[in-house]
Amino acid sequence: MRHLSQATPDPLRAQGPRHNRRQFLGLAAASAALRFDVAPAQAQGEPVKLGVVAIRAGIAAPVGAAGLRATEWWAERVNKAGGILGRPVQLVVEEESNPKDTVERYRKLVLQDKVEAVLGGISTGVTLALGPVAEDLATPWLSWDGTTQKGVEETMPNPKWAFKSVDNEVEAIVAGILTPKYFKGIKTVAGIGNDYSYGHDCWQSYQAVLKRYVPDVKFVLELFPKLGVTDFTSHIAAIQQSKADLLMCSFWSGDATIIMKQAAAVGLFKTMKGVFTTAGGVHDSLKKEFTPEGLLLGYNTMYFDDPKGSPLLKQFVREYKTKHNEYPPYECDHAFFNAESYKAAVEKAARGGRQWPEKAAVVKALEGLEVESLSGRRSWREDHVQMCNFYQGITTHKNSYDFVTISPVEVVSTKQAMKPAGAKLFDWINGWKI
Amino acid sequence: MSQHVVNVLLSGVFHASILFLVAAGLQVIFGVQKIFNLACGSFYALGAYVGVSAVGWYTAAGGPPALFIVPLALAGLAVGAVGLVVERGLLSFVYERDETFQLLLTFAVVLMMEDAIRLTWGTAPRSTAGLYLVYGQTHLLGATVPVYNLIVIAASLAIAVAIGWLLTRTTFGRIVRATADNREMAAALGVDLRRVYAKVFTLGTALGTLGGALVIPATAAMSEMGIELIVEAFAVVVIGGLGSMRGAFVGALVVGILRSIAISTYPELEMLLIYLIVITVLVLRPRGLFGGAAV
Repeated sequence: MRHLSQATPDPLRAQGPRHNRRQFLGLAAASAALRFDVAPAQAQGEPVKLGVVAIRAGIAAPVGAAGLRATEWWAERVNKAGGILGRPVQLVVEEESNPKDTVERYRKLVLQDKVEAVLGGISTGVTLALGPVAEDLATPWLSWDGTTQKGVEETMPNPKWAFKSVDNEVEAIVAGILTPKYFKGIKTVAGIGNDYSYGHDCWQSYQAVLKRYVPDVKFVLELFPKLGVTDFTSHIAAIQQSKADLLMCSFWSGDATIIMKQAAAVGLFKTMKGVFTTAGGVHDSLKKEFTPEGLLLGYNTMYFDDPKGSPLLKQFVREYKTKHNEYPPYECDHAFFNAESYKAAVEKAARGGRQWPEKAAVVKALEGLEVESLSGRRSWREDHVQMCNFYQGITTHKNSYDFVTISPVEVVSTKQAMKPAGAKLFDWINGWKI
Repeated sequence: MSQHVVNVLLSGVFHASILFLVAAGLQVIFGVQKIFNLACGSFYALGAYVGVSAVGWYTAAGGPPALFIVPLALAGLAVGAVGLVVERGLLSFVYERDETFQLLLTFAVVLMMEDAIRLTWGTAPRSTAGLYLVYGQTHLLGATVPVYNLIVIAASLAIAVAIGWLLTRTTFGRIVRATADNREMAAALGVDLRRVYAKVFTLGTALGTLGGALVIPATAAMSEMGIELIVEAFAVVVIGGLGSMRGAFVGALVVGILRSIAISTYPELEMLLIYLIVITVLVLRPRGLFGGAAV
């Protein structure tokens, strides 16, 4: 979902960690072999290969790792239950790095490994390039978190093979809707985000939405530090000087933790409200010692501690914690949904039979399809964009963790917070009836 | 107003303190070995990660939180020993080669270190949780200042003084300066260049790793954190003069404080302003403010 093309100065990482892929293929083969022992009836079924592209290096590596882990968890679960139409799933993992190299690896997955579909893609800088390639290669591509947006506008409104994530700016829009509800009387707002498309788009969208609810609000400062900055003390001095009533921040990686820590050290949130649209991506690093209660915090599309969470979510969180010693972030939900919806689409297109359907039939079956994901029911809009819920809420220390969680939990659907197919973002926001 | 000035200046000086340690490592190595060590940012990142682990073990062992800076600094210094391994194991083979090879080799170290860090500590950012605030805050002309920031500034100053003393008042310093000035002559007079190079490279590495360890309570360790800093360190050495410790000190202050002022006034100009100074220095005084060698 984040435009990372500037973030990965990546001739350095042009070569993917092949040993990882090989190791993984080995593991997948081993698990397939294990399955043959326990379910000989399906052993005849040749494994169905699914390609996965996952970021492994740089600032988005933790997000990429989370998506891959969830996909592996899904594959293990599906294989235990008999695979898809009796065929065990075999994942073929490649690295997502810069657009050029990722496109090459994508082509290899389809042309050489002959995968049935490709899952993954996080950086919009990369997925903007993958979209046309997916169309060209006529193989379904289901993107975890990448869009084909240029800024806030769609570049591929009617794709056939490409299935894309939610629009990049949705979490900023949700935060803009919730800000006036929780922070009444806000007159001045300062903003900080990363200096690339996602940071700028979120800030513009947030301003547009907030202006609709609080017409006389003033935006007094905007800061866009580069990705990878680890010292925000000077930025915080500028934010203090702005004397804004509220700080809006769209950081989503380690920088969210750092700014929280450095802001706490000078008591910034004693006098200022805070909105962190996306910091739930690193939620378990937001320790109580430096993250105050009372901030608006966004978890994107999955809140691991959702009191209304399904048994599936609870099982996933428990097993993820046991295996990785972390609590899962939202990317797991995007990845699980993609894989699960692909399985459901294959089964739907097979119409109850065992015959493996054509790729085009799978794509047709995906359109409008709704399945149970980790966060609840999620679906594909007819124009191939994910529909789901966004989770945001007010930070609290009242929990058994050493980091903050949210209470109350606000759940806002993309039906409310994402521009409809074909709409222009700002026209759409300005047309809201409030 | 005074509160804002204090905030801007102190945040600038805090940034400069870390920048100085990394740039000083770069300078001492270039000054003596004439190697432009691109890996100095990686050593900084390594120090940060090792610092996080050391503090983690210390805390788990029940050490009093107020003394966490001791294991932190010791770990930062100790991991500087990796410099010895890099110098003896890699660089010593390319001293006679063209400078481009040396540069490429240090760049290879950057890539290898990034992968090594990822393999060892994983991809998620690592931090020392709330220890940053253990020493509390103090108030200066109405501004709230984290005491830890003042400790880092003081430590950096103390290290600057110690390096000054080491280079000007000790036998080792005299040998180092003689080698920097004319390595053939130094060798002819009986200086064991191998030993000097190993010691100097380890010292330069330890400055970077110590900088990384010291900054970590105030921030979080990320595998690419070194790359971000190295760009600013380049500006520091160009402004201060390649190979000059005094230059590293003044250059770091100039870059740190200007960056802070720019962010508070015209944030769009943050990098532009620094590089305007760099260009001005390059045009008017190509050797930098304190440089001996041509840049």
